[in-house]
Amino acid sequence: MAYPFAHPREVRIVSKHFGDAGARPVDGWVERGGYRAARKALPEMTRDQVIATVEASGLRGRGGAGFPTGLKWKFMPKDDGKPHYLVVNADESEPGTFKDREILRWTPHQLLEGAIIGAYAIRAEHIYIYIRGEFVDVIPVLRRAVVEAYERGFLGEDVLGTGLRIECTIHVGAGAYIAGEETGMLSSLEGRRAEPRMKPPFPAQAGLFGMPTTVNNVESLAAVPHILVNGADWYRQWGTEQSPGTKLFSCCGHLRRPGNYEVAMDFNLKDLVFDLCGGPRPGRRLRAVIPGGSSVPVLTADEIDCPVSYEGLVQAGSMVGSGGLIAMDDSACLVRAVRRMVEFYAHESCGQCTQCREGTAWAARILRRIEEGEGRDSDIPLLLDISENMAGKTICVLSDSAAAPIVSSIQKFEDEYWAHIRRRSCTAVS
Amino acid sequence: MRDWHPAVAAAEPSQKAERDPAAPLFGGVYRERFERILGRYPTKRAALLPVLHLAQEVRGWLAPETMTRVAELLDLTPAQVRAVASFYTMFNLKPVGSYLVQVCTNIACDLCGAGKVLERFLSETGTEPGAISADGRYTVVETECLGACGFATAVLINDRFYESVTPENVPALLAELP
Amino acid sequence: MTQPAAELVTVTIDGIAVQVPKAMTVIQAAEEAGIVIPRYCYHPAMSSPAQCRMCLVEVKGAPKLVPSCVQRVQDGMEVRTDSPAARKARRAVIEFLLVNHPLDCPICDAAGQCELQDYAFETGQLRTRSVDPKRVLGRDHVTPDVLYFADRCVLCTRCVRFMEEIAREPTLVVVQRGDRATIDTMAGELFEHPFSMNIVDVCPVGALVNEDFLFKPRAWDLDRFPSVCPGCAQGCNITLDTKENRVVRAKPRPHPEVNAFWMCDHGRKLLAGWVPGGERGERLEAPQIRDGDRLVAVSWPQALERAAEGLRQAGGPGRAIVSAAAANESLYALRKVMQALGFAGGAFRVPTGPTAVLEGFPKLQLRAERVPNAVGAALLGFRRSADLFADLRGRRGALLVLGDPLHDAPADFGRDAAFYLYAGSVASPAARNAHVLLPVTTFAEMDGTFTNFEGRVQRFTQALTPPGMARPAWVALSALSSRMGSGAMLDSAAEAFAALAAEFEPFRGMTYETLGFGGRITEAAEGAAAVTSGGK
Repeated sequence: MAYPFAHPREVRIVSKHFGDAGARPVDGWVERGGYRAARKALPEMTRDQVIATVEASGLRGRGGAGFPTGLKWKFMPKDDGKPHYLVVNADESEPGTFKDREILRWTPHQLLEGAIIGAYAIRAEHIYIYIRGEFVDVIPVLRRAVVEAYERGFLGEDVLGTGLRIECTIHVGAGAYIAGEETGMLSSLEGRRAEPRMKPPFPAQAGLFGMPTTVNNVESLAAVPHILVNGADWYRQWGTEQSPGTKLFSCCGHLRRPGNYEVAMDFNLKDLVFDLCGGPRPGRRLRAVIPGGSSVPVLTADEIDCPVSYEGLVQAGSMVGSGGLIAMDDSACLVRAVRRMVEFYAHESCGQCTQCREGTAWAARILRRIEEGEGRDSDIPLLLDISENMAGKTICVLSDSAAAPIVSSIQKFEDEYWAHIRRRSCTAVS
Repeated sequence: MRDWHPAVAAAEPSQKAERDPAAPLFGGVYRERFERILGRYPTKRAALLPVLHLAQEVRGWLAPETMTRVAELLDLTPAQVRAVASFYTMFNLKPVGSYLVQVCTNIACDLCGAGKVLERFLSETGTEPGAISADGRYTVVETECLGACGFATAVLINDRFYESVTPENVPALLAELP
Repeated sequence: MTQPAAELVTVTIDGIAVQVPKAMTVIQAAEEAGIVIPRYCYHPAMSSPAQCRMCLVEVKGAPKLVPSCVQRVQDGMEVRTDSPAARKARRAVIEFLLVNHPLDCPICDAAGQCELQDYAFETGQLRTRSVDPKRVLGRDHVTPDVLYFADRCVLCTRCVRFMEEIAREPTLVVVQRGDRATIDTMAGELFEHPFSMNIVDVCPVGALVNEDFLFKPRAWDLDRFPSVCPGCAQGCNITLDTKENRVVRAKPRPHPEVNAFWMCDHGRKLLAGWVPGGERGERLEAPQIRDGDRLVAVSWPQALERAAEGLRQAGGPGRAIVSAAAANESLYALRKVMQALGFAGGAFRVPTGPTAVLEGFPKLQLRAERVPNAVGAALLGFRRSADLFADLRGRRGALLVLGDPLHDAPADFGRDAAFYLYAGSVASPAARNAHVLLPVTTFAEMDGTFTNFEGRVQRFTQALTPPGMARPAWVALSALSSRMGSGAMLDSAAEAFAALAAEFEPFRGMTYETLGFGGRITEAAEGAAAVTSGGK
């Protein structure tokens, strides 16, 4: 069973049970092979073996940065006598991305199992699952799963009879995109404004409550049980050397069959759009694709014949990001689309760094003016210069994220801007 | 099923329909939930977000008196509570209607016509964005990405999540609300 | 400092090599090299959030520009603050700050002392390319004395961190987020704190302003004089900002061991508007001598002659009442007069008030003793008294009063003395009972020293021109004592202090030069401090 659409060319590992309500309760999950990895890891494998296996699999963080998960765990200190924390980043809010929500609402135990293994590996006594407050339908599902996991002894004072204590708390966010940023999340969990912090110190040194902390994305953790049960080599049968395994792509926008598709990481982006998602709606031509959430550069329809691997998308001029694929057909006005994204970043900027606080809002005003036909010739070089001044200068990458769609859309769809500025019109086909 | 396990004390859905701006903070079952939340964190301050959710669940919005009371309970200054509450969009710093309708108008939903959905909600409820309808039932606001981009347009009404909303099914959707 | 010898590293900043301790940040190391990297959020006494991004510099080998306020130095590090990338980044920050800034410099209190103006000029970024309407946020009180102009604010959060980290009362916060963010208090509430006005000092722009100063003088019209606050025994190092012979405001002058970068509101309010005359008509501006029931203004030589003669005729040892707000030099000169008469004891009193501690720098307190020089008076042999008037009752002989206006004295104060000399700045009713009245300056009108609660002797300088014929007390009293054959006429405050130091053991070896503006602690200070604080 698939949800909402499935395709034979997918490799369904994490998404295997999407749409299968029977996988939600703990019994259903165990029937489907759940908690085998946890049972294997906790008594049988040392922490170092768990980390080594995950490292060997080449699993990279699925939240956006693509940092190797095993390496992240390895950075956690050993024998330091301090409490360690595992924070699960379930604050999915990158526009265009809706994969973690599906993992959580269909297979909450898949995440919990990965988190329990992760907590074991990094010696965390407490798992905090930071979930978006807006996920009102998912939170009860996760809540039930956590209670079940406690009742079955997967969590609590004596995990799986090993004498190990792992607590788990669901922490509900309250509406702030920047809480999804690693250090912003730690600030938020501490009861503060979700303001990102300078690194160093890195969370592995001084994270939540000043203690060594690892923050992992839901999808990354959900892949871990499969890797432990089947081995690193098994996971590496998909994808490339630098991008092993599978990845969920949340596909949305102007597509016939929007939804989540899990593909090997060397899958072709064009096939993903045209074959799996069915291409643009009837009578429409594909115009642009943002492959990894609104923070990554936009590609033209001609640029998408490339693998969806980390390196493949970089070579094509974009990034995997969170895997939120936004397709735009010829009815889309790029200026409007970019304005809408930049307005989002302006709305979500925490306001600490000058470049981001002022730059995002300024750029959004200019874009709106252009969209409304009041643009000036000088606006295009100005937008590019503002973008340059915002990118790479701030505590976190939110302002880089705002700059990416501006710069790439001007590079690739400059005619759209000129149509608005010079002719007060738009190249979009209504 | 022990649905009250302390691990999930903070995960109760907020924004319930029945709220009382004068309700005590925190009594009865809410007192127990408050205590369980505190027990999950090494600092009192860390409980601030869940406790503000709880306060909003009880009272419907975070009036200055509510924030001041939360500050007392968590050993913070009222200003610190306001700093945090005003950072997060889900905390209502002014009263809202019985049903808070949040329409996603971010990129994916916008591409698929969220603007028209928003307009329809506004016209059906006869309100301006952020205002309370004359009968006190509705407040309609735009919201940023709700994380359901493949199912545009996404709409959140109190603790109900709606996917694939079109302008046409707005009236029925409003009529279904209790 | 007393830290153990720190490991030194060599860093090169804009081609200038400096050796600095390993724990230093680049922004601090640059200061060692004589380069002040522009900054807003950085403040040496507070944590660095690295959020204004003004202090970005280029570090060789680093992929991006780095904030110099948090970047630690490393041996061999090469830093450029003047590279094209660093310059462009600074210009960009200024331009971003100007996007919504109202550019209301002509009516802004901070004009002339504004770091946004300064850096705009320094970077050449005098305007913004924005043509869109500016966001308007308005202004409001944050304390009863301090106004916040949100549109001028650069969100550096120094004020927020002052309240959180130094005052330890986080009553000032950032509310909202993004470009809607402002500094604010709890909705609808003002906060009060005995050190609240420091938030105005730490503000690099004109966002936080003292309402008392609002729209009054321009910063460039002010003259500034190093001084010491007379408000309590703490001895905060301050600057007196004056205009037209009036103290417009007092600002803290950094001293790492006395007041760090801060001072209390009590001191500021005491000094704001300090004018030589005090209440008009009350200030003693000319020497006066008694002629029956009348007081007659006379010249200094006449007054001194009359005083010398009167004291000689009174005979016997003299008794004195001194103010613990008088300078060490003046108290010393009075001692010389009393030596000529055969010293019989002098007393001072110490008015007290509620205390306040600055939690983040607890050595700084608004001290109960609301005078600046009680320790100095004690070290110079005067006695602290709980009831001056009872002590004097029934005593005859010569009576000398220095500085204390004696507003609370009985109506017949001094009437039973054989001769009563008053040297002060206020012509109070008790002063008007004197045989001779000598007009002397307040601390703001003279050079001198105070000895603070811990026995630290600190210099202050003349900021105002004395009114009329008023002179520093040490000038007047040394002229008198020399007439009476006790000591020489003193020509300068430095000379007066040197004479004092030669005679009084605790001050031995000190000169104005060795005191500098950091001051020095007297050896006998501990004991004396304990004595003077006994009455608390």
